[in-house]
Amino acid sequence: MKLTPAVLDMDLSYVEKRLTRFIKQYVESTETSGIVLGLSGGIDSNTIAALSALAIGGERVLGLILPEKETYNQKDIEDAKLVAEKFGIKTQICDITPALEGFYSSIPVFDQKDRLCKGNIKARSRMIYLYYYANRFNKIVCGSSDKSESMMGYFTKWGDVAADISPIMDLYKTQVRKLAEHLGIPKELATKPATPALWPNQSAENELGIKYEVLDLILFGLEHFMKPQEIAEELNLETARVEKVRSRWLAAEHKRRMPLTAKLEYRTVGADFRLPRSTY
Amino acid sequence: MKEKIKLSLIQMSTQRENKKANLKKMEMLTAKAKTQGADLAIFPELSLTGYVIRDQLYELSETIPGPSTQKIEELAKRTGLHIIFGMPELSEKTKATLYNTSVLVGPAGFIGKYRKMYLPTHSVFEEKRYFRVGYDATTFETPVGKIGLCICYDLFFPEVTRLTRLKGAQLIVAISASPAVRKNYFEVITAARALENTVFLAYVNLAGVQEGLQFWGGSRLISPTGEIIAKAKYDEEDFVICEVNYNDLRGTEAFIPTLRDLRPELFEKLKKEAECL
Repeated sequence: MKLTPAVLDMDLSYVEKRLTRFIKQYVESTETSGIVLGLSGGIDSNTIAALSALAIGGERVLGLILPEKETYNQKDIEDAKLVAEKFGIKTQICDITPALEGFYSSIPVFDQKDRLCKGNIKARSRMIYLYYYANRFNKIVCGSSDKSESMMGYFTKWGDVAADISPIMDLYKTQVRKLAEHLGIPKELATKPATPALWPNQSAENELGIKYEVLDLILFGLEHFMKPQEIAEELNLETARVEKVRSRWLAAEHKRRMPLTAKLEYRTVGADFRLPRSTY
Repeated sequence: MKEKIKLSLIQMSTQRENKKANLKKMEMLTAKAKTQGADLAIFPELSLTGYVIRDQLYELSETIPGPSTQKIEELAKRTGLHIIFGMPELSEKTKATLYNTSVLVGPAGFIGKYRKMYLPTHSVFEEKRYFRVGYDATTFETPVGKIGLCICYDLFFPEVTRLTRLKGAQLIVAISASPAVRKNYFEVITAARALENTVFLAYVNLAGVQEGLQFWGGSRLISPTGEIIAKAKYDEEDFVICEVNYNDLRGTEAFIPTLRDLRPELFEKLKKEAECL
């Protein structure tokens, strides 16, 4: 298989149609009042906001802007508001700093210097806010995880990935960027660097150590059962580079599954209880 | 037997696990088919229960004939139509084994059934986990033609439609629950199966979304020369009336004599090679 950027090309109008229909049907089937989503100003959440509004109407979508003092970025908030305004979405700002400080001060072993553990508190706290609004106003939480980050495990377990539906989880980051532009999100926002905002100046591409344009092609090759050596040859990379991505992808499977249990009985949750969702 | 019949390709979405609602919808759509002059109403694969129902198949399956089949029989009697639909079948004999089955009923009652022979168990499909495979192709002689039945993934295996055609089918009805990522394959193989057997082929697919799977619709009637006579919308529910003229079969076989030119001895060779892949 040739691994050129063209393999990631899509009929964007069709993708928009499929995803908006998926969102609309899920909301209708759950008989909820609409959608709540975290609006960070980043590409993924902007895209999800646009899709949600196109699916069920902006007035039924609530974008929660959840800043905190360490990673506070006025530009991100302005970007989030700009997209919300364009698609007619209501927004609400909740400064989560007091909640975070409550966690920091009440955990006896809390370590300020361990920025990953600390950052994960931020992602999981945002999840709590989203689910509070969802419960309080009978909405579903619409997640904005993409396929690149999901495959790489580049997310906080039970944190930013927690949602009722994740409409763009089968789209690589570079595909999300194209979809964002197709939906009318300004190019400047569609191409701005991704950050999970767990600590100041955090950059997804720096942390992953690879550009999404390359990562997505590696992941596409792995998805299609190509061997690391074949992928490396196609992309003119060291095989070790591809192996590293593959190892990370496989190692993160625990983050994408229900918790593992020991099989003791007849039918087991997460193993062989294979039930349909009560809705779509 | 009629020389010309009208089909209604009923590309519906289903309510999963809700047989009552699906039967009601089938009743309403069959009545619509009658008002539009149809002789045969065709519903998609597992139209009685929905497709992605996983372990609920054990609870929702029924014997054939059984309560739901009886309801469809009553509907056929009332409307004078022949009806084909899909449902999970519970074996009458073992009361434990399940089949993915296509059922044919007519105004005079139950006519016959076909148990899916090729059960997809890959990618998002898990049919072999639940169903036992069927063992034979079937063709039924009815007032609306010699009708052969097959289901969805069976179309990937030319031997199923070939056997059905060799048993005398003039119209092969393939009911389906095919998600959108498979659309391009079906667009090709539905035409190929009709052409290589010089037979009419009606393909009726599910529409709507179940568990994130978009069923792509695109139901169609294909002529014995592989042309699309009628086609339903993609993705959405649709209802198409179209006509089969059995007189076209003879002329087609003269022009593309695939049945005359069959080489039975190759089937022995195929069998031998297939046993040691």
